Amino acid sequence: MINRDTVTVAVIWIIATVAIEIGFSYTDIFPAAASEEAVIVDDAFDFLTYIAIPVFTFVLVALGYSLIRFRGKPSADGGAPEDGPPVRIHHKWVWFWMVVSSALVITVIIHPGLTGLNEVEEAAAQEVDLVVEVTGVQWAWSFTYPDQNITGNELVLPLDSHVQFDITAVDVLHSFWIPAFRTKIDAVPGLTTEIHANITELGDYDDDVNFRVQCAELCGRDHAIMRSEVRVVERHEFNEWVLAQQN
Amino acid sequence: MTALKPLGRAILFALIGFAIGATFSGVLVELAGRGDELRDLTISFGRFHIGTLPMNEPMIAGGYVFALLGWLFGIGVWGGWAREWFGASVKSFDQHGWKRYFGFSTDHKVIGVQYTVVMMVIFLLAGSLAMLMRLELSDSESNLLSSTDYNTVMGLHGIMMVAVAVAGLMGGLANYVIPLMIGADDVAFPRLNALSFWIVPPVAVLLLLTPFVSGFDTGWTAYPPLSAQGSTGNLLFLMAFASFGLSSILGGLNFIATIITMRAPGMIWSRMPIFVWSVFAASLISLTATQFVAYALLMVIFERVFGMHFFDGTIGGDAILFEHVFWFYSHPAVYVMILPAFGIELEILSHFARKPVFAYKWVVRAFFSIVGLSFLVWAHHLFTSGMSANLHGPFMILTELISIPTGVVFLAAIGTIWRGRLWLKTPMLFAMGVIANFLVGGLTGLYLADVVTDLNFQDTYFIVAHFHYTIVGGEIFAMMAAIYYWYPKITGRMYNEKLGRVHFIGMMVMYNVTFIPMFIVGANGMNRRVATYPEEFENLNLFITASALLLGLAFLPFVYKMVNSWIRGQRAGNNPWGARTLEWQTTSPPPEENFETTLVVFEDPYGYGDPDAKHFEFLPETGQGHAAQPVGGDD
Repeated sequence: MINRDTVTVAVIWIIATVAIEIGFSYTDIFPAAASEEAVIVDDAFDFLTYIAIPVFTFVLVALGYSLIRFRGKPSADGGAPEDGPPVRIHHKWVWFWMVVSSALVITVIIHPGLTGLNEVEEAAAQEVDLVVEVTGVQWAWSFTYPDQNITGNELVLPLDSHVQFDITAVDVLHSFWIPAFRTKIDAVPGLTTEIHANITELGDYDDDVNFRVQCAELCGRDHAIMRSEVRVVERHEFNEWVLAQQN
Repeated sequence: MTALKPLGRAILFALIGFAIGATFSGVLVELAGRGDELRDLTISFGRFHIGTLPMNEPMIAGGYVFALLGWLFGIGVWGGWAREWFGASVKSFDQHGWKRYFGFSTDHKVIGVQYTVVMMVIFLLAGSLAMLMRLELSDSESNLLSSTDYNTVMGLHGIMMVAVAVAGLMGGLANYVIPLMIGADDVAFPRLNALSFWIVPPVAVLLLLTPFVSGFDTGWTAYPPLSAQGSTGNLLFLMAFASFGLSSILGGLNFIATIITMRAPGMIWSRMPIFVWSVFAASLISLTATQFVAYALLMVIFERVFGMHFFDGTIGGDAILFEHVFWFYSHPAVYVMILPAFGIELEILSHFARKPVFAYKWVVRAFFSIVGLSFLVWAHHLFTSGMSANLHGPFMILTELISIPTGVVFLAAIGTIWRGRLWLKTPMLFAMGVIANFLVGGLTGLYLADVVTDLNFQDTYFIVAHFHYTIVGGEIFAMMAAIYYWYPKITGRMYNEKLGRVHFIGMMVMYNVTFIPMFIVGANGMNRRVATYPEEFENLNLFITASALLLGLAFLPFVYKMVNSWIRGQRAGNNPWGARTLEWQTTSPPPEENFETTLVVFEDPYGYGDPDAKHFEFLPETGQGHAAQPVGGDD
């Protein structure tokens, strides 16, 4: 069970895993995270990746090693090589594999799976500062601020606030997605869905395209351009904007 | 021309059927007093307006049903089958030589070739559509296609590739080899097998007609209310998809019956090749799950044709209901695609590593765990749909559990090649490619099973990359492995090894170079199913387009050599791979009855390295049949 081949693979696997884990810790493929929810999502992504990397390297190293090391020699007439060892099963390996893979699965179910769900719920349970009613219609978004009595196509949000979006659609399915907040939910005709964002960063579409409301559910001809710019501003600027809109 | 007579008759019957059905429905519509409110049909192609027809959707739907019946009766269902229901005698439609492939043959080997060739043509066509999409996406603005045309091209690419993934391995190659591998002379229901194939051409015709009736905007998922409102292209798409479902159900039924009842004497369950197990498991899904998508599609058809409102939330319907029913089939369906791919992968690894399949019984258990769990994970497609949040946790857990049995397949793959004598022929290279690619597909699935990361990734290019890794990197690579593996058996000739390797290396490298950046562009914030996108994503998209075009080029040596070798390739002999399964123990190609004499099976076919191993023995001519009269089996 333990021989030169398994030891070599184990060593290469450890080196590759450590190297890739370190490389990944310096990588960031995500745009700016502008809400508490976005941080939860990105952290979950990172944790899952740290778990996935050793699995990835193990299979690739074992595969690559076999490809190089275990080549058979074709027979003299170019036919199949001679037979390999008649090993049908190694019960200890199988049980080892079952235990490890089950442990990994249970780990990701608990964290970031259930803990992540809990974090998102807790973030949504905080006191709501602002409610925005969102309506999707082919192919535009409209935003109503019921407490401020404003309706328009512009989404302006105050920094350091907890916003609740109440979302519905008029005609067909749409999906409300702000990439900078990492949250998304469908807009369904006849139904009001709800999503929350605890906003932590300033930003606007001109500097970062991920400050946009993007329709993410195919909704027909102009689905691609069904998007609105998002602007996160300081609280006092928001108040000024509200006043300007109300007049 | 006699070879094409059945085809000509079928087309004629289909046209007559369409006229009858359309007239009948038209009269009903008038009697119902709805004739005026239904619009006429505009025929166009892209920017070109061709004309209008005085025909509404109920007439098209009624016409299609009768046209399908006419087509099937014309091709041979009547003469070769249905006549006996009325006490008349039936004729055999089996012809000889190449003519067999153009008629209602009931030989599973002919049907297998018919399926494989048709699916390869659809595969190349759908691949060309992908090239068209990538050209459109090479810059952020609209440059080649209108938004509607892009959506139609995308939807056609999707549904055609789904059809190839569902029926390429199962309908095509499995149809050819399963009866051979279990030592049977044919499938259990040969005429049903033919029927299941001949439903496919009308499906293809309907799909190819959609661009002429303003296309369809919904992608292959056809979510209402959009699919219930849009142009007539939607109706054709829905009818095509539902018909294809029927073909898939019949195919699944046939495999189950065949594997249960037609095994050679002595071929007890635990002696079956692993590929047979995988097809059996996948058939359980296609037999029992496909109805659900058919219901869902039919209900949308009823919305369009009868003006019903199942999914219209504004008047009491429920759009999310469709998503549930749709994915109740369409998630298990991905296991109809990948289970046979796992089977063929392990089969080839064993024969080309000259070692038994590692942990065979665990793999079988894994297959059935996957079948069971596959029915319980569908709602992970709905984490952002607005369904009750109480469902998020349970479906996340169930989805993540399925990675345990899937992991067993990886263990078996590595265990099989470990310390083997690897023979790196083209089928082996593709089978090893499946391991590497599906590894990426499986691990990235983790982020989509996890609810919080899925809230961000749902409907982005991350998803596009993920499912292409599982279905192309996993299943299509396995299908290529299977084609190269059984090519000498089916054609009797050898493919060109050098071009096979060029194909593998080109496909493996360019495939990964094309799809890895899609993960990144998705994480960067690009959503899917769009013809235009913010300029920020332009560089990566241009890179992906260039890689995709090279990936397309990698198929040229494949197409050229597959056709060329069939005519000019070297004679392959009966068993060029020295494999032990039964299909290699008869001539290449096999005779009509598959085996000259009956045979009896003693143990599984993986006795590599064991000098006393004996999978089977041919019996002296006794006229005895197959598993219907088992001599060695215990069941």
